[in-house]
Amino acid sequence: MAAQKELEFKGYAMTDPSAWSSLTVTPFQPKNFGPEDVEVAITHCGVCGSDLHTLTGGWGAANIPLIVGHEIVGKVTRVGEKVKDIKPGDRVGVGAQVGSCLKCRACNDNYENYCPGMIHTYNHQYPDGVKTQGGYSTGIRAHERFVFPIPEKLESRYAASMLCAGVTVFSPLKAYGCGPGKKVGVIGIGGLGHYAVLFAKAMGAEVWAFTRGTAKAEDVKKMGADHVVDTTVDGYWKDLEMTFDILISTVDHFPAGVSLRSILSMLYVHGKYITVGLPDVDQPLPSLHPFDITNNGCLIGGSHIGSKEDMMEMLQLAAEKDIKPWIEELPMKDAGKALEGVKAGKVRYRYVLKQDIAPVE
Amino acid sequence: MPGEQTKFLGYALTDPSKWHDLKVIEFKPKTFEPQDVEISITHCGVCGSDVHTLTQGWGESKLPLVVGHEIIGTVTRVGDKVTEFKIGDRVGVGAQRGSCLQCRECKDDYENYCTNSIETYNSQYPDGVVAQGGYSTAIRAHQRFVFPIPDEIESRYAASMMCAGLTVYSPLKTHGAGPSKKVGIMGIGGLGHYAVLWAKAMGAEVYAFTHDESKVEDIKKMGADHVINTGKKDFSKDLTRTLDILLSTRDVFGDSTPLGEYLSMLYVHGRFVTVGIPDVDDTLPPIHSFDLVPNGCLLGGSKIGSKKECLEMLELARSKGVKPWIEELPMREVGKALQNLKDNKVRYRYVVKQDLA
Repeated sequence: MAAQKELEFKGYAMTDPSAWSSLTVTPFQPKNFGPEDVEVAITHCGVCGSDLHTLTGGWGAANIPLIVGHEIVGKVTRVGEKVKDIKPGDRVGVGAQVGSCLKCRACNDNYENYCPGMIHTYNHQYPDGVKTQGGYSTGIRAHERFVFPIPEKLESRYAASMLCAGVTVFSPLKAYGCGPGKKVGVIGIGGLGHYAVLFAKAMGAEVWAFTRGTAKAEDVKKMGADHVVDTTVDGYWKDLEMTFDILISTVDHFPAGVSLRSILSMLYVHGKYITVGLPDVDQPLPSLHPFDITNNGCLIGGSHIGSKEDMMEMLQLAAEKDIKPWIEELPMKDAGKALEGVKAGKVRYRYVLKQDIAPVE
Repeated sequence: MPGEQTKFLGYALTDPSKWHDLKVIEFKPKTFEPQDVEISITHCGVCGSDVHTLTQGWGESKLPLVVGHEIIGTVTRVGDKVTEFKIGDRVGVGAQRGSCLQCRECKDDYENYCTNSIETYNSQYPDGVVAQGGYSTAIRAHQRFVFPIPDEIESRYAASMMCAGLTVYSPLKTHGAGPSKKVGIMGIGGLGHYAVLWAKAMGAEVYAFTHDESKVEDIKKMGADHVINTGKKDFSKDLTRTLDILLSTRDVFGDSTPLGEYLSMLYVHGRFVTVGIPDVDDTLPPIHSFDLVPNGCLLGGSKIGSKKECLEMLELARSKGVKPWIEELPMREVGKALQNLKDNKVRYRYVVKQDLA
């Protein structure tokens, strides 16, 4: 069934890396439409730290012109003939991944977010050469495996940032057993961190939030954290030795002198420190000696977004428990302002952009 | 009463500049308490920890110091609160001899992680007595840290199970080694060879990694399904995203260690676990989040094992007839064993036989 008016693909693009936050409306070539694809007219897009790392070149050189944004919500305009579970008019989301090989062990194990052949929502390329462009735009096309129906109860402006920030913390919380009887720490209460607090509480754990200074403490308590720790206080970790089952770190920049050893000492036996923060390429984790991980048999891990299975479970949990992220809404033309706000650490706690190039009925 | 005339004699470090030239001393044993077991030592294994401690690589040690924590012997005395043992039992003691027994870890059968743990040697009891190890005639330890040895396992084989065996058994068990799992073992020395033997006995498919071509035949005989020479260029290429567990016994790191390459061999959420502990100034090579994120892998450590795990391990050894590959020497030649261990010459664990009394 064809859409009434064919979707025109235009987005706020970076054309000059030296002016990375000056984005101008640019038409682009979308993915070549295939039988398993879903086309979405975008209504909302969240602003992610990844957008910043990519535009500024911190993660390496970017394709030009470049449209970022991978916390996308919109309305389905068209589906390929093999698509069964999604139909035009549905409200859906797309996150940080738009493709994978669908054949390897990881894809078959519901770990498509770890497929070596994965395709990122922006700054990447399909095998036929078409470049992927992101959600600060009017539309996107993606394989149905990477398109997620949004539960009716969940508003689009809230769902948007769940597509990357939300699932990126939900996935490791779930993988490592967050739930009743567990003590979970969240380090860094920004977009991802605040979601980790909201989800970990909803999953039944006891939640400790770690944040620099006290400015966010009141908010974090309102989000449901059982305890808030100021990490600028010297020795804050000492009374918390051998406490946590899981520590989720959203830190994407380690200030000089931060000791990973002190943080790891807070883990209980076989506890896990999982980093979802991805610093710039020249920033490794602070130095470690094997003693730092053998003393409590702990593990340090990474995690990358989430699978469709994770996403659907998370959206269901959010709808059931009425989880609302703390967002600031802006029209999409103010994307540059939002990006600068993220860079300056000013957002409370996630920006969501409303698409304003071609409003969706 | 038997045991009251026990003389506590051991081969001790007295001069760190001659770290493997050990002199016989008499030492003060642990003050005997109601939950203690006194053991007359027959065998002791020689562990990398002994070398790291004697050479002062792990920091300044106590002096004089008797090392050795892979101990087998016979019970000669038990305190009146001891329920698990009687005189004449054949038992072992490993790298730990005390803990608080009250904290969460101790109650969860994680006493090896108790923050008030007392190590078998180079530590100190609250009353000030220095803990001396198993290159000696006898030892006293709390019954929680004494392990009954099954009749079917000879003392000379059981000895090195007390530390080397347990230290690799614990993470293999914790991280799920078993049927349909692919387990990699990095470094096939004392600990590494035990890891091959246990992982096979637990039903896993075993990949052994060594830089020493001369060990390949032995490793196949130990039961490894695959042996990979890490000296070869691109050794990890065909193993990308393959292993569920990669257990590393390396006790030397340095910036040239290709940690990123090792991590790339792990399947999704696979675990790289180090039991090898290098000298204090030898840190892990830099790790970037990008090393951990593409496969969501984990990098961890593990420290010896609990009594619960030790008994399980001994039962596995008994039921599957697992025998380590050992070289035996009289205890007076322990210095030679230590030097050979440091030079990577042992195949694959020394056990010394007590010869002082």
